[in-house]
Amino acid sequence: MGQRTAQTEKALSVDELANRREWWSVAQKTRSKRLDYLRKGVWKKGAIGGNYAPGIKIDLTLPQLFTEKWQEQEGEPIMLQKAHAIAHVLDNIPIFITDRSQIMGYIGSAPHQIVWHWQGISMVNEEIYNEEGIIPEPEEESLEILATLNDYWGGRTAVDKLARILDPEDAVKFMSGAIGWGTPTSAATYSTKDFTYIFKGFEALLAEIEERMEETEQKLQGNPSPQLLPLYDKLPRWEAMQIVLEASIRYAKRYARLARTLAEHFESDPTRKEELLRIAETCERVPAKPPRNLQESLQFDHFVQVLARYETFEGAWPHRPDYVHGPYYDKDVNQEKRLTKEEALDLVGEHLIRTYEVGIFAPKWAREGLQGITGTWVWTMGGVKPDGSDACNDMTIAYMQAARLVRVSNPTFGFRWHPKVKDEVLRECFECIRHGLGYPSMRNDPVLVANTVHWYGHPVEEARTWVHQACMSPCPTTKYGCQPMRMASATANCAKMIEYALHDGYDPVVNMQMGPKTGDPRQFKDFEEFFGAWVKQMEWLRNILVRTVNLGRVKDPEFFGRPFLSAIYERAVETGTDACDPSNGERGNAWVTGFTWVENADSLAAIKKFVYDEKKYTMDQLMEALNANWVGYEEMRLDFVKNAPKWGNDDDYVDDLMVRCLREVSRHAKENKCPSNNNWPLLPENVSGNIHYANLVGALPNGRRLGDALYDGGISPGPGLDKKGPTAVLKSCGKFDHVTDGRAFLLNQRLSPTQLSGEKGYQLWKAYMKTWADLGLDHVQFNMVDDATLRAAQKDPEKYQEVIVRVAGYSAHFVDISRKTQDNIIQRTVQGLG
Amino acid sequence: MKCTECAFEAPIGKFRYLYNARIDSSISMRQCPQCEQWLAVDELLGEAQDAVHPGEAPWGKSAGIEGLAGDSQG
Repeated sequence: MGQRTAQTEKALSVDELANRREWWSVAQKTRSKRLDYLRKGVWKKGAIGGNYAPGIKIDLTLPQLFTEKWQEQEGEPIMLQKAHAIAHVLDNIPIFITDRSQIMGYIGSAPHQIVWHWQGISMVNEEIYNEEGIIPEPEEESLEILATLNDYWGGRTAVDKLARILDPEDAVKFMSGAIGWGTPTSAATYSTKDFTYIFKGFEALLAEIEERMEETEQKLQGNPSPQLLPLYDKLPRWEAMQIVLEASIRYAKRYARLARTLAEHFESDPTRKEELLRIAETCERVPAKPPRNLQESLQFDHFVQVLARYETFEGAWPHRPDYVHGPYYDKDVNQEKRLTKEEALDLVGEHLIRTYEVGIFAPKWAREGLQGITGTWVWTMGGVKPDGSDACNDMTIAYMQAARLVRVSNPTFGFRWHPKVKDEVLRECFECIRHGLGYPSMRNDPVLVANTVHWYGHPVEEARTWVHQACMSPCPTTKYGCQPMRMASATANCAKMIEYALHDGYDPVVNMQMGPKTGDPRQFKDFEEFFGAWVKQMEWLRNILVRTVNLGRVKDPEFFGRPFLSAIYERAVETGTDACDPSNGERGNAWVTGFTWVENADSLAAIKKFVYDEKKYTMDQLMEALNANWVGYEEMRLDFVKNAPKWGNDDDYVDDLMVRCLREVSRHAKENKCPSNNNWPLLPENVSGNIHYANLVGALPNGRRLGDALYDGGISPGPGLDKKGPTAVLKSCGKFDHVTDGRAFLLNQRLSPTQLSGEKGYQLWKAYMKTWADLGLDHVQFNMVDDATLRAAQKDPEKYQEVIVRVAGYSAHFVDISRKTQDNIIQRTVQGLG
Repeated sequence: MKCTECAFEAPIGKFRYLYNARIDSSISMRQCPQCEQWLAVDELLGEAQDAVHPGEAPWGKSAGIEGLAGDSQG
């Protein structure tokens, strides 16, 4: 806002504000009063840097309610025990209706409270004691409740149970925090949801379950045989599904009752009274029965997402809302005209706000890796229908428009670009990017559909239904394609591959022998020998993460249990199994997330050139400099940075090494198998793991020191190291096959808002996107905020609360991320197009 | 090395290394152990250049075309 007074600010027209690129002021002036109220009234739940905002408290009512019922039901099969406990929560958790809102449902007892999922891992539970400010008042009483809960759950959480059967050496190495992150349990996970099945309505699902139970009970009366014995275990699982579905319907009806009570006894405004009655009618209808209109479909959707998060920590939000809700929008707005476009936009905007307000407690390491947000809630837009025709609809446009009005940093969108996308839709995507939202990310649909078929054998019609399972990885939303558990601990800190190759498998930061002993590099006779060591370290790193997650996956139904998710999973309902049970027909869609990947190519190139090809430095000299963290070797460090080839400049020397590394990993990805006997391809991306791991990765031959941020993307060049322009970046990234050389590849690019203003800007961007598509890249996302704004926001954060930036696979408000992350974003090269 | 803010003197290693936001520059950020001020340090010379405050970028502008035109918010 600079020097202007509030009065001059008010006097500026929308056009003037747009010319100044003051997009948050444009949003405030153009959105409805309802959206303005709801947006300004929402609590910020993402951590600022690594800490929660003042006023945010954890909700202790939920774990208390759950635990008291859980203890009562002790001795039951885990899914049944959990179903009773969840039902008890849904029947008793305090509910509220925010003034002017039309979409109901919240995870927690009050809008400033965030859910703490106490059943995951007791080490995380213990961390709450150290979290200043988030214990509810009166603090002493809350601490006693917390201690009672922790005393009970210590040793009983999903990871505590898993830890008892993990290989101890694997467990220690994993828990070092150096090689990967996440927890191998669906207690911290995310699940794909098939709304074509769910929208049948919970009463229909209950009827289906009832039918299965009756059939099974009849079978059990037949001739005894070994085939009948497993059926006994199915009955309590179906019963558990029934319990949670019935409780879910009751939960919705509590909102209906509250809305009706408010309307009939308290509300004096006739317009709001009518809205409250419509809310009551909606919540009486869904999720029990199929939705009939847009409000019901959005409400049904939101209830499902809220209910899933009462069951577990769902850290991502796989969804394709334009595809799911598009037909209801069309019916209400275009056909029956019961809603105006503006009224529909209010509902869509509120859908974004209600999602943004969800908060879930995460440990500090996770908050640092996901600064500014609760989870990577990337909603999928656009794409094609199962028959390959364009799936974009009016709802695609409505979500893009609503995003610019409410400017939330979560959810963000990933847009499935394909050659048949209409110009008006593409313009909407560009407008969101131009407004500085950092989203949608652009995904190459034909490439990713082919990739999904290639890696897992999903039929092409199913592959075309894909949604972002988290930031990047596509997953079909079909009966056998849906992924119930993301296996987040298969997240590799890939820079350790090169670091361990240099140090004979030893980790100089955590001071442990981690990887295999592959030899002292000083003794290697040539680059091939060094590369062989890298391959062995890469295989070891992937193996330890994958086997840990595989074990967690097969044990999940026994150690955790998902009655709600099972009840909405067709294959689980059909087979009477837990949704996470890999034996129920799931095809498999696993991937290893590769943080800090590009350092490998740049470091290998520097070693190859300077040590082996040119013999400018000996390996001994390099190791000395690295062991000193480059201190005292600044001239040499700068030589390694500036004169060794760097990824992203269309230089075959280093690009060939990148391709070679990816092909080694892809070979290995087919040797690793998930519990469904499918592959584990690599997906290079970073969220803000490049900052989190800055203090866990030692000095590297690409010239970084321990403490420096790692590169920001999955295949993004190092910040400031891509010197040859945007086409050279695209050409480097186009040298490998985005179908067969990995699962997906995150590319961050920074563009100049000045250059891309107006119609000319759109045409420049569109031409860039054509090159991107022609080269077969699968992903690109943009930051379009200039240096001056970002520096001003660092200086005066209060005045720049609404500036949003693309961090990695997600967006965040700039003022909510750490100084180090802010600087890392500012240092990204600003590419000139055209 | 000498802190530009409080004049504390010690070998460079005693000043906590924070990060080098621009990898191709010899300027890094370190923290004075006495006054805790963030300092811009030239690693080639081993000298503290200046204190670094929010919004300041001692390593200069981003690479690329930034600075093509003013994009300030008024």
